Amino acid sequence: MSVYLLQAEDLSIQGEGVTIAPFSCALEAGGRLTLLGETGSGKSLIAQAIMGSLPRGLVARGRLLIDGERFAAADGRSRRALWGRRLALLPQEPWHALDPTMRAVAQVAESHRHVAGRDRRAAHRAAWADLTELGLATAGSKLPGELSGGMAQRVAFAAASAGGAPIVIADEPTKGLDAPRRDAVVELLARTPERGGALVTITHDIDVARRLGGEVVILRQGRVVERGPARQVLTHPQSEYGQRLLEAEPGRWPRPAPLGERQAAVVSARGLAKARGGRELFRDLSLAVSPGEIVGVVGPSGCGKSTLGDMLLGMTPADNGDIHRAVDHRFGFQKLYQDPPAAFSPHWRLSRLLDDLVRRHRLDRAAIGPLMARLGLDDHLLARRPGEISGGELQRFAILRVLLLEPCFLFADEPTSRLDPITQRQTLELLVELARERRCGVMLVSHDPALIERICDRRIALGDGRLREVEPELDPALA
Amino acid sequence: MTTLTLHATRRWLPALSPRQGLGAVLLALLLAFAWLVPWLFDADPARQQMTRILQLPSLAEPLGTDHLGRSLLARLAAAVQLSFGMALLSVASAAIPGVILGVMAGWRGGWLDRVLGSLADACLALPGLLLVLLLVAIAPGNFWALYVGISLVLWIEYFRVVRARTRILVASPQLEASRLLGFGPLALFRRHLWPELAPQVLTLAAFGAASAILAMAALGFVSVGLRPPTAELGLMMIELLPYYHEAPWAMAQPILVLFVLVLSLNLLAGRDPR
Repeated sequence: MSVYLLQAEDLSIQGEGVTIAPFSCALEAGGRLTLLGETGSGKSLIAQAIMGSLPRGLVARGRLLIDGERFAAADGRSRRALWGRRLALLPQEPWHALDPTMRAVAQVAESHRHVAGRDRRAAHRAAWADLTELGLATAGSKLPGELSGGMAQRVAFAAASAGGAPIVIADEPTKGLDAPRRDAVVELLARTPERGGALVTITHDIDVARRLGGEVVILRQGRVVERGPARQVLTHPQSEYGQRLLEAEPGRWPRPAPLGERQAAVVSARGLAKARGGRELFRDLSLAVSPGEIVGVVGPSGCGKSTLGDMLLGMTPADNGDIHRAVDHRFGFQKLYQDPPAAFSPHWRLSRLLDDLVRRHRLDRAAIGPLMARLGLDDHLLARRPGEISGGELQRFAILRVLLLEPCFLFADEPTSRLDPITQRQTLELLVELARERRCGVMLVSHDPALIERICDRRIALGDGRLREVEPELDPALA
Repeated sequence: MTTLTLHATRRWLPALSPRQGLGAVLLALLLAFAWLVPWLFDADPARQQMTRILQLPSLAEPLGTDHLGRSLLARLAAAVQLSFGMALLSVASAAIPGVILGVMAGWRGGWLDRVLGSLADACLALPGLLLVLLLVAIAPGNFWALYVGISLVLWIEYFRVVRARTRILVASPQLEASRLLGFGPLALFRRHLWPELAPQVLTLAAFGAASAILAMAALGFVSVGLRPPTAELGLMMIELLPYYHEAPWAMAQPILVLFVLVLSLNLLAGRDPR
């Protein structure tokens, strides 16, 4: 018997234009492995190959050792019997993994009953105990739709780990969560190795990798670029890509060019109030955005960040207070969306969408070329459909689309939260640069305080029904 | 998504699965039969020849003759033309108002949604066949009464499916983004709604065509539909029923044609479950 709980030897994946180079890893009890890399680097596929749940058309090769048993990676079905009992997968976007018509506690109890084989009563008791332990005692009788992202993630964790599996694979467990919730999930994940299990985490969040510790593997385009202990890899990366990845952490970004003299606001609001579902989001909120200024909005999920932006855009009415828009330019108020593919109709080529816009507003086609070059968008992308280009490219195309209308105010609702760090940095740097250049006021929502702190001229913190405006700590060199 | 995006190549025509391909081939063969026969054979579906009743298929009459000595070949071709033509008409007249009203209700919501919804519920509360019988009783033997009756029953499915889908799409970021960019309702419909609705509406249309054909044959069979001597599948069945002992092959023909017609449409409509 080997000392390793989970071992993969020469695990490779092939098919449908995908190649994952042979990958090996070994985790003993208490071991932690973090796969770090950008979208499309194949980190989820490695997890699926271990689980034996690869999509059709992809074939895994290599050998696996899971909890003392040997498997050929090619035979995915052989691992099904392990699911839940010895091998658990924490899915990404847990609210898609939970049954929307079933109460939280019942979903956890189901695992206790059918996977762990307890009787109905014991399963229910165990489910409540799990939820209470995770701080969800009040959420047990709620439906997944009523849970916040962080709560849903914890319920999914409870359901996935009810079978007592010693090996847990977490696929992007912190995607779309704000900083405090992200830390809570990381703590939750860390319990598995603390209890003598093994944890494999897939993420593009460097901070998560740093907090989890253990071994870190940086992947790019299906190859291992660098690997080693977290402390070493995440402080002194040897590979050029690893260095770029670290550089992309918001805390290390260069500060944007100073705003210069503040001009008359493009949009200002006084005494805004909004309640939703009987809960007050904010009251007596006043703010102003100047041309070219980047105003950051931070706050926990559900605190009304998006609602505030939609109110400034005139899409949601305010309960109280007034909003003054400087320019009466109907299309001068635009929005960037969190999930780039969701903001486009997937059925048309980008060139067609651009044509529509040009025809609708009688735009000058000559303006498109230079702006595309500026945004790093290649001409051949126009022949593709939104689903066929990367999220970063699509978000830059979205920026192109709104900038062609020469907006005076842009509401960017977490525009980069689904992008990997390098793409995020590149996209936001471009956005800030272009906003300054074109005197377009930007309201940027993010769940990453470090990012907001770095690139915004002013910061608004929402939450607890109150508004705290944090004045910029002006860099003496810039002031 | 961290999985690699697999680029699917798309074609202009919707890719047909093998089942749908089979359906399309069957339908094409039937239609070719219906339109080529009157052109190639000089056969009148209503010409009676009392000296040659219930004859077995021969070179002169490839499908034989019925109890009045009429050419079954000519009658079947005419019946398929009629059934298919009427199916197309009633599908179009059910789908177009169904889609338009569905989009309006889903988009605007509020009182318009409630009014249109209640109207659909009211139509649904009457059994479909009863509605058709009612109209047929008002104007007996009339092609138009039949067709209006069948359309009135069919439009509700389009309305409901389209309304539910529209409601979701209208609230989606893709539509909101385009609206902010200044696009009007027609452009939004063309770029965002129709591509999403089309597969479902076309599936419904193929099923709807099959059920319209069946409804017409059923009405013909119970003798409330079209009147003789019109060549219609249901009517042919009931006319040939008394002679099934002497000429089973004659009676089998309209049944077989109806079966193949409905099967081809259902094959065309049904997509492989993923």
